[in-house]
Amino acid sequence: MTTQTTTTTQPNPVKNNDIILRTIGLTKHFGKLEAVKNLNLELRRGEVFGFLGPNGAGKSTTVGMILGLVAPTAGSIELFGRKRDGNSWPLLRRVGAIIEEPAFYPYLSGWDNLEALARAIGGIPRSKITEVLERVNLLDRARDRYDHYSMGMKQRLGIASTLLRDPELIILDEPTSGLDPAGTKEVRDLIPQLAHESRAVFLCSHLLHEVELVCDRVAIIKQGVMIANAPVHELVTQGQLLQIKVDDTAQASNILKSLPWIKSVKVEDGYLIVDAPKDSASRVNKALAEHNIFASELTSRNVSLESVFLQLTGGESGD
Amino acid sequence: MTRVLLYVLIGILIILYLLLLAVSKVVIPEHGPRVMGEIQNLLGLPMAIPFALSILSSFGSVLSVILLASSMGNEYNWRTIRTVLICSESRFKLLGAKLISAGILVFFGLLIGVIAGFIMSLLTTAIGGYAFNFDFVTGSYLWDQFLQFWRTYFVLMPYVLLGFLFSVVGRSAMPGISLGIGIFFLESIITTFMVLAGGWIAHVPDYLLYFNVRAITAMAGLPEEFAAGMAASGVSIRLPSPEHAFITLAIYSVAFVVLAFYLFRKRDVTV
Repeated sequence: MTTQTTTTTQPNPVKNNDIILRTIGLTKHFGKLEAVKNLNLELRRGEVFGFLGPNGAGKSTTVGMILGLVAPTAGSIELFGRKRDGNSWPLLRRVGAIIEEPAFYPYLSGWDNLEALARAIGGIPRSKITEVLERVNLLDRARDRYDHYSMGMKQRLGIASTLLRDPELIILDEPTSGLDPAGTKEVRDLIPQLAHESRAVFLCSHLLHEVELVCDRVAIIKQGVMIANAPVHELVTQGQLLQIKVDDTAQASNILKSLPWIKSVKVEDGYLIVDAPKDSASRVNKALAEHNIFASELTSRNVSLESVFLQLTGGESGD
Repeated sequence: MTRVLLYVLIGILIILYLLLLAVSKVVIPEHGPRVMGEIQNLLGLPMAIPFALSILSSFGSVLSVILLASSMGNEYNWRTIRTVLICSESRFKLLGAKLISAGILVFFGLLIGVIAGFIMSLLTTAIGGYAFNFDFVTGSYLWDQFLQFWRTYFVLMPYVLLGFLFSVVGRSAMPGISLGIGIFFLESIITTFMVLAGGWIAHVPDYLLYFNVRAITAMAGLPEEFAAGMAASGVSIRLPSPEHAFITLAIYSVAFVVLAFYLFRKRDVTV
């Protein structure tokens, strides 16, 4: 497997220290099952935050707790600097979300669905419905019944519904699921735009390449426990891989494996792929040269988020 | 769903009236003139509203259970419950709005059912060649029908709210519909056995739903064979007083609503 990753993450101009979401020791038990354990997260305004994990890791439970659908067993949630307690509607009104997959009334049109939600939220003019439908390119099909929509159109209606209330925090769970490549790109372009509009975006996705492209920071959760939480660029460069071309790959592999500071060595397409600490290329080269093995090629390559994810989660699907 | 249920209700009324008209024209010796006279009486205009209400108290219950259980249960089936809850100020208000809107729909369903019954009575009177006579329409008659309308609405509520409760408990329309309707039919059979058993067991039905519903629907003054939507069992029973029935059914209705609200507010929404 050869992976060459380019990260397009740019510093966000509106990012500041305004913390939109904070979870403190968030825990959820379902009977004996500990779905989420002592989760501490922070999400700042203007930030696109990726929340990753295998199926069943506790992502949707966490989102459910943030949105008040699931009661935490322990811990607390702060939204916009205020602790969420009994009457959390003034805070939740500022949050737009789609969880797992968009769900609307099948017998109503896209427009009518949004109108029903707008009435439930209150204080949303009809012009806003037009605006959000236009933004997700669904205005021309707005009067069609929801159950006649393609999966991609349903996803776009879901995104439109999150924008209805002009939220400061947008929670998107698999927003590009079912979209065609053009639709995926549209949504992928939309997400950073939303964050640049002084909002924060909390993105759950299985598409790690997509997360890598749009997120500023990611947290990885496994069996309810957060196992990584760092800016994307830090995660993908914390372990650097060296790609080495030598004549005798078997002997070179044995030599490198004997070095205590080398994490792993494997052979791919005739190359040695060495997981070594950053800036250790010269040390690796020296170690090989001491055994009269000379590298004809030695290049470094970044680890993709997918590799980091698979390494941290042990490649579990969770199913 | 609402429209379909309304069509079903009107369809049932039409079929029932036409069947009764057909039966009233067939001379069956063993029935005798009394029963034939009662059938013709039911088809007549003075009995149109009480008879329609009597039918609505049974078939209407079934359809209303389906309506209310679906109104809540389908939110779980379609998974719209999360979408709606995220956009709602509180779970209490959401459930309250559901109940109120379904209550209004049941009211209009009853009203349309009564109108349909009256129209069918006009038609069967015309088809049967009976005389059109509106002398029975007096102030006291209208007042009685007004009261009976609300009595019918009231007796629908326990079963309807029971179906609603089960749809919240089961997080689906199906438990609400099946248990709501199942109890509606099973209870009449079980209470009959209880009466036959005698002793203190015979008094238990006084505190269940069916006898109390019948105690209130009996106030319409229909012939016994046709009371309670023609579900009379043939077993001689002593119904509770209307006051007892009213209080018992009110307690059940309130209990079902309170339990539904409590569970809906307390439980996690994970569907």
